[in-house]
Amino acid sequence: MKVKEPFFWINISCGIIVMVFILLPLMEMLTAPSFSMLKATLKDRDVMRSIWLSIYTAGLAALISFVFGTPLAYVLARTQFAGKRLVESIIDLPIVIPHPVVGIAILSVAGKNHWIGQLMSDLGIRIMGSVTGIVTVLTFVGLPFYVNAVKNGFEAISPRLENVSRSLGASMFSTFFRVTFPLAWRSMLIGIIMCSARAISEFGAVVVVAYHPMIAPVMIYERFEGYGLKYSQPVAVWLVSICLILFLVLRILTLRTGKPS
Amino acid sequence: MKKKSTILYLAISTIVLFLVSSLASAEPAGKLVFFHAGSLSVPFAAMEKAFETKYPKVDVLREAAGSQKCARKISDLKKPCDLMASADYKVIGKLLIPAYADWNIRFATNQLVLCYTDMSKYADRVNAENWYDVLQKKDVVWGHSDPNLDPCGYRSLMVLQLAEMYYKKPGLYEAVIANRPQANIRPKSVELISLLQTGNMDYAWEYLSVAVQHNLRYISLPDEINLGNYKFDDLYEKAVVKVTGKEPGTFMEIKGQSCTYGVTIIKDAPNREAAIAFLEYLLDPEGGLKILKDMGQPPFIPCRVPSAEMKAMLPASLQKLVEIKN
Repeated sequence: MKVKEPFFWINISCGIIVMVFILLPLMEMLTAPSFSMLKATLKDRDVMRSIWLSIYTAGLAALISFVFGTPLAYVLARTQFAGKRLVESIIDLPIVIPHPVVGIAILSVAGKNHWIGQLMSDLGIRIMGSVTGIVTVLTFVGLPFYVNAVKNGFEAISPRLENVSRSLGASMFSTFFRVTFPLAWRSMLIGIIMCSARAISEFGAVVVVAYHPMIAPVMIYERFEGYGLKYSQPVAVWLVSICLILFLVLRILTLRTGKPS
Repeated sequence: MKKKSTILYLAISTIVLFLVSSLASAEPAGKLVFFHAGSLSVPFAAMEKAFETKYPKVDVLREAAGSQKCARKISDLKKPCDLMASADYKVIGKLLIPAYADWNIRFATNQLVLCYTDMSKYADRVNAENWYDVLQKKDVVWGHSDPNLDPCGYRSLMVLQLAEMYYKKPGLYEAVIANRPQANIRPKSVELISLLQTGNMDYAWEYLSVAVQHNLRYISLPDEINLGNYKFDDLYEKAVVKVTGKEPGTFMEIKGQSCTYGVTIIKDAPNREAAIAFLEYLLDPEGGLKILKDMGQPPFIPCRVPSAEMKAMLPASLQKLVEIKN
């Protein structure tokens, strides 16, 4: 890109507009609470418990997506079959559906009016108002982000490498774990980041399924309604900062170990 | 050049004329922003339709939320708003007067009922005599809304306290609450309905109006405990619920009182004219109050303000629609 051309300046100014658009409201929110309020919130057990709950349920959702989404992403990246487009659109569905609808849909399967709900209640598994329920919802909304990221990762790896491995007598299993996986793990990590980022931000679907125990976004809502903006902002600040650090660390990890290869 | 300026002149004068004439006719027009309690959604939707037919230039934009949240949107988020109606008229007094509103008209009542569906456990034998035994059964899932956020939530707890006194069963309140894990609480009472209908919950406390509007089965309770009859206000006051106060860690006590809806116009309402017109319709016994009556929210005819000073603060056209009654 030549520096002098207007094209360059248009790109730069659009970039600046986007940055300001994202950062301005966030800065406003981050700087609103006083330091003493932030400190007091940090000592509030309920707040820390909800942030921790948010992080580990989102992590679990990413883990489940990793286990079940990776094979699916591989199939989608490597094979052509009738109805593939349909499968891909089904995977994207959770992104499109309004969040409260997701919650109600999950509850309607988990309720006594449904045989699965009956079975679960016989087994003692409860979705409504439980950590199981939260993880179910977060996996539902986060899964598409994982599958799409990893599918793109697999597609970027030439099938030829796998063919070589297969022709040398390696089984499909060992080809995947010794050739494909080492090349694709970074896209999986990105998938995990995307999935858990999406999961941490979820509010609408979770509040329908589980108000208690409270994840951080639900607590921010509860604090806002019960006590007003002044007491909900510090919780939001801590959630955003902790998540920012977590994701930054994950990103740096991908870069560092990525360089030598 | 001259021709152009003549056209410009004509255009401007037409616009000015149009503006002046529209001001002169003074018919309410534009957007009317209305924050109201979730339990008023159905009757207000019907009123919106009727009102917009009467004043086609007005577009009523309703936002339903918990009453406290409605007030917070005005006081904390500074969202522009013309009208605000609360399921507990005290919310207006507590959070909006005097900074954001001057007065508070009580316009309708409601009462608490215990809702259930055909699928609920013991649906075939529950009745007004044994409901508190059913709620204590281990295999029954019942819930109420968050007492800290939703008036229906603390009112549900008050009904249980009043039941303990009315049925003369000491310890009833504690015993019933012990069978309600925290997981069964939802922010708003209306959200409990989807839990009932999907079979995740057996019984839920709701307003009568909500039960009627959603075609739920329900148990009506005696006036002494259902918080629906203001003649029993002295009795209701004996029920006291502790809810969170102005900041985390602080608490305050709310005394029982009959369910009374309040409405007010916000001080710096962007469209005051339309707001007054809407209230004229809402407080009309043949208009809004009739709709409320049909939908399980018995109105006050006429509507009430607590003092003569408050009545004097009302817009002139509304003063004749209210009486002073505490």
